[in-house]
Amino acid sequence: MKKEKKKRGLSYEKQKRLYGYGFLSLWLIGTIVFFIIPAAGSLIYSFQDVTPGAAATWVGFKNYTEAFARDPYFRTYLADEISEMLKTTPVILIFSLFSAVLINQKFRGRGFVRAVFFLPVIVASGPVYSVITGDMNTSGAEGADQFSTLFETDMVTDLLEFTGIYGLSQTLTESIKHTIDSIFAIVWRSGIQILIFLAALQNIPPSAREAAQLEGATAWEYFWKITFPYVSPMILANLVFTVIDSFTDSGNKVMGRIIAMQSDWKYGLAASMVWSYFAIVIFIVGILFLIAGKLVYYEVD
Amino acid sequence: MAEKNPKKARREKEKARRALMTKEQISYLRRKKITDSVWPVFRFLILFGLCFVILYPLLFMISCAFRDRSDMNDPTVMWIPRHFTLNAIKETAKAMDLGKTLANTLLINVGCSLFQVITTAITGYGFARFQFKGKKFLFGTVILMILVPPQVILLPQYNLFKALGLINTVWTMYLPAMTANGLRAGLMIFIFRQFFRGLPKELEDAAYLDGCGPLRTFLVIMVPNALSSFLTVFLFAVVWYWNDYYICNSFFSTNQTLALTVKNIQPVLNAALFNDASLRVSAREYVVWTQAACLMSISPMLLMYALLQKHFTEGIERSGLVA
Repeated sequence: MKKEKKKRGLSYEKQKRLYGYGFLSLWLIGTIVFFIIPAAGSLIYSFQDVTPGAAATWVGFKNYTEAFARDPYFRTYLADEISEMLKTTPVILIFSLFSAVLINQKFRGRGFVRAVFFLPVIVASGPVYSVITGDMNTSGAEGADQFSTLFETDMVTDLLEFTGIYGLSQTLTESIKHTIDSIFAIVWRSGIQILIFLAALQNIPPSAREAAQLEGATAWEYFWKITFPYVSPMILANLVFTVIDSFTDSGNKVMGRIIAMQSDWKYGLAASMVWSYFAIVIFIVGILFLIAGKLVYYEVD
Repeated sequence: MAEKNPKKARREKEKARRALMTKEQISYLRRKKITDSVWPVFRFLILFGLCFVILYPLLFMISCAFRDRSDMNDPTVMWIPRHFTLNAIKETAKAMDLGKTLANTLLINVGCSLFQVITTAITGYGFARFQFKGKKFLFGTVILMILVPPQVILLPQYNLFKALGLINTVWTMYLPAMTANGLRAGLMIFIFRQFFRGLPKELEDAAYLDGCGPLRTFLVIMVPNALSSFLTVFLFAVVWYWNDYYICNSFFSTNQTLALTVKNIQPVLNAALFNDASLRVSAREYVVWTQAACLMSISPMLLMYALLQKHFTEGIERSGLVA
């Protein structure tokens, strides 16, 4: 009761502001303790020589130079992972948009197909996925082997030869092969993206569809003039999600190297590797954001 | 006349209509007719192929888990086991200490997911409906939480928990979840914020006018309206916690959760089943046990998914994440 009276003395705006802080207070405490302090701590580690049991000493950029100049794997892994990310992210985005458009159409058995398409959401973030793909270097690889025979490169080569693409250009055939080889990985990593695109597709106002149909738009025109602009904000969201997801991917070699350094007690080096990897990826995402941001269409509220 | 022969009447009607159409309209209709008949076939082929790619490992898992290990070497056995047996399942369950691990996983999983959904919903509501100083900065922190991978902050977190003497206790998972900082909490706050922003303000204004405080308004007006969104986020939280082995691995020194056990399935199996040096198990035969372990660890999630599939897919559409 007393509190009520005290509050009543404040203006309505001020009161609401206080409540705003009140709603955030729990998160604020948690973020300071479990996010900001650890993140700052890790950043400080990256400039220190941290050995368990001894006091940490400040070494400046030594860890960073060691990571890039002396570590035998870090640079190669970094280049591999980033080029892999740049290659697969657009493919995942295109594939998931395509799939979302497909399963947004009306056909019999749509419920089942949708259920199957979102199944990877349940499985793919866990260790079972690494057993399936054979990433774990266990005998689970057998399963992956047997699986990949279905998409044997020979079949792909035959197909490419048949269509006359083979031999046209080395890089073209290579990239087509790469795409088909990684079809499995792409399908399995697109669950959430498909979900988000599907939601965006269902938010397209029916009036837009009707107008397009009245004007006699073909499916192709409909896609580029109606669908694409409406889902374009979600392309950005999915871009960020895909990139962040590849960070925590179980097969990520850079993260594997970092964890190896950590278990080697080289905390400072590990921290500097994490931060430089993070900085590079954020830089790339920033550039992509700037480019893509110009293509995005926002409906004026 | 027309009623007696409706087919003919319709055809005549069509003819009359066509006579009125321009050339463009006719060609449009013809093109539409062709695509309408060809496209479903293509669509079926594409969808069938993709569904196959997704279902293949799961079918393979089921097929392997119930077969005798000798069937792995039998080239005639593709999908249906010749020697159907529950041995692999039983042995793996024993090796994984399934009962205890499952109970432990559920304790961490359901508890953390519940706490985190509640705390992130409160935080999301705070961001959605209140104006205060530093809001932009604080929301920037939420975005940062989404972007920064857990690997970055895990080691200092470990030191913190170690200093508090909480390593190997469930508090290492519970405390962050209770303060809206657990697994993918940033994403969850973001989803809730978007959702609450999408709800009409009139709802709350009416409550305020009736003398409800913000907290009561939130509990009495907003929460019931957001139940489907709560369920969706809860389901995702359950899946994420269920699948997490990375964070668990840092805070627990023993294999306490299912995900962790599956991650280390090889040493687990070796210690429990293949300690005997006289036992020779080829790599191919080994698959039987690993697939059995996989099947057991994801079947609760698959069951949940089968039952609540609608909420996974429809919830995110209603959550306003997109709008």
